[in-house]
Amino acid sequence: MSSRTDTGGGKSAVISGLGVVSAAGGNVPETLRNFAAVRRLPGPVSLFTTPLDPPVFEVKQPLPGNGASRTLQLALQAIREALAGARLGGDLSGRRVGVCLGTTVACQLNDLEFYTAFRRNGVAPLEPVRRFLKGNLAEAAAAEIRATGPHITTVNACSSGSDAIGVALSWLRAGLCDLAIAGGADELNRVPFCGFASLSVMSRQPCAPYDRDRQGLNLGEGAGVLILETPESAAARGVAADLVLAGYGAACDAHHLTAPRPDGTGLEAAIRASLEEAGVTAADVAFVNAHGTATRDNDKVEGAVLARVFGPGIGVLSTKGYTGHTLGAAGGLEAAFTALALREGWLPASAGFANRDDEIPLGALRERTPVRGRWGVSTSLAFGGNNASLVIGCNR
Amino acid sequence: MNIAGLGIVFNRGRGVASLERALEEGWRPPVSLDLKGVPGLKAAAYPVAPETLDDKAVLAKARRADRFTRMALLSAFDAWTCSRLGQDVAPSRVGVILATALGPHVTTFGFLDGILDFGDAAVSPTAFSHSVHNAAASYIAMTLGLRGPTLTVTDFHFAFHEAARLANLWLDERRCDAVLVGTVDELGHVMQAACARLLAAPEDGRIKPFAFAREAVSIPGEGSVFFAFAREPPPDSFGALHVAAPGAAPAAGLTHCLLEADGLIGDESRYANLVAPGAKIGAYAPLFGSIMTGSAFHAAVAALMVKGQREYACPVPADAPGVSAIAATKAAAVGAVASLRLNCAGALRSLVLSR
Repeated sequence: MSSRTDTGGGKSAVISGLGVVSAAGGNVPETLRNFAAVRRLPGPVSLFTTPLDPPVFEVKQPLPGNGASRTLQLALQAIREALAGARLGGDLSGRRVGVCLGTTVACQLNDLEFYTAFRRNGVAPLEPVRRFLKGNLAEAAAAEIRATGPHITTVNACSSGSDAIGVALSWLRAGLCDLAIAGGADELNRVPFCGFASLSVMSRQPCAPYDRDRQGLNLGEGAGVLILETPESAAARGVAADLVLAGYGAACDAHHLTAPRPDGTGLEAAIRASLEEAGVTAADVAFVNAHGTATRDNDKVEGAVLARVFGPGIGVLSTKGYTGHTLGAAGGLEAAFTALALREGWLPASAGFANRDDEIPLGALRERTPVRGRWGVSTSLAFGGNNASLVIGCNR
Repeated sequence: MNIAGLGIVFNRGRGVASLERALEEGWRPPVSLDLKGVPGLKAAAYPVAPETLDDKAVLAKARRADRFTRMALLSAFDAWTCSRLGQDVAPSRVGVILATALGPHVTTFGFLDGILDFGDAAVSPTAFSHSVHNAAASYIAMTLGLRGPTLTVTDFHFAFHEAARLANLWLDERRCDAVLVGTVDELGHVMQAACARLLAAPEDGRIKPFAFAREAVSIPGEGSVFFAFAREPPPDSFGALHVAAPGAAPAAGLTHCLLEADGLIGDESRYANLVAPGAKIGAYAPLFGSIMTGSAFHAAVAALMVKGQREYACPVPADAPGVSAIAATKAAAVGAVASLRLNCAGALRSLVLSR
């Protein structure tokens, strides 16, 4: 497998740092401890007032603040952990660093207080507008860490984080930068909370991905970030190239705005494209960190596709049982969790899964399981029929 | 990468012919719109006329789509149809990248109306699903049956540059064989009111790209531009587009240089330093209005110049000394055209279109 990191064309990127913050933990060590203990902490909304009562997965630890949006604070916390893990600290001077981050909340001026004032008489304090115009997630993060390479924010709904990682992989392969900070971030916000409630897809119980009795998703918040690096850059810095991002695939259902294509062919195309790009066969893949939102439709379609591509014996988990659905952050978090599972050599139990659904030709992991293989896949499905798949490997 | 097709929706109509006509006819005064919620106050703007978006055939699969999506869908449809790439390229090999600064914020505010008027538990699921930034790109994929990667990106200044550059990478990587890339931004009442308070407006209704003013004037506009890109040059190409590295100075050997000055960044004095020696200068924001994704509109003008070997008179003439602005519309030898944009921090990005 080592040849995957030093060949031309579709060469891999080294994953030299990981940063996570979610309800599952404020950093990598805490998250691993909670995964190992199958500890999850859904609860009522505390970040805003709402009469709706589905549980959510909030980040409880204090964030740095600094007047930035909560989403940017989450992103910066994950970025700092990832940079430290990559032995980059906060000093990126002299390096060509790209920033590609996904979000759904930070791209919208959905400030209810501002809008309430505006509706009243057409005049509202403009500070929220100014803050919004300075708060493009990738641009603001790049400015904060003084990254001078390309930057763009992906806003592809629930696959935003995975797509951001795919964009960064293309940048690195093309030589546009030597390092890329990629992933996603989203805060829990009242507007999408109301929106998902209106779609009747939220569970009033802690979510149960892939379970027979699943009743829908829980929303969450967080950020997941990978430091991606060309093999040449990693070698020059003396950084281990154990973890690699080898393939990204994306395909559109072209079917419906909010429902996945029933035959799952869009997701299947994305997975197969990512495997082909990575030079990996389905049989090489040890496990899939599935999108697994715990909605009836998502898990049914996704489970059928995973069984079709990898066989019904593939190890499947959904970490949304620990984090909730973190929307634009999900792809970043789940890519990081996939890399962590490969590095640590074990998969956590798929929290919330108890009983297999006869309509899904595979079940999720009920208990902590050793990783037997070098490759993991992380999948994302999104509003609009977007499907994305990442192939992550470990040389150890 | 090569431009095989072009589509546009803007205040002067829909389609390449509308753009050519607007360039031939020159400047028109903006319309005066009521500032919603502020009785008696009006502001100048360049909105897209409702009849421009009236195409039941194309919009049949997008009956519930909002105005933002309709603008994007119509320009994408026109670019794709114009390119004829659908005859040769499998739908699974076609990517879509939509770039926007503000996204469907009018629909977002409509959704907020629902929360404020009816409460958290009684909002519209349709409004919510259409308030998501990638709804427009998804409608494009659904309407055209395109099943390759479909991505929406956002940035307040250079969204089109990054989208176009990514399309080039997707073609080079063989991830796609064709990519539809475009921009869309909408003029909504909230942002219009914010613009009226944050930005200076011209008393005579003219955006002045050649004033190089420290407090430049702007008039908000809206619309969508889409390009169909292919790896190989098609028979009826609009030329090739290259996205220059961030901060790169205008390349040597340009025949024409477009300044995207539209008043949005406030201080436009640095544009005076960007005038490439020997190149003829154009600036067309006065036709479209001030749009955060205005780079795509200027790229569309550059594409017409390259394809038609024609230069277009600047809609608001230059009165600055030493600027070789295009003063008349006429046939011309158009080799390479750079389109230059600055952001508020003074960072420069450029697109180069050539034969």
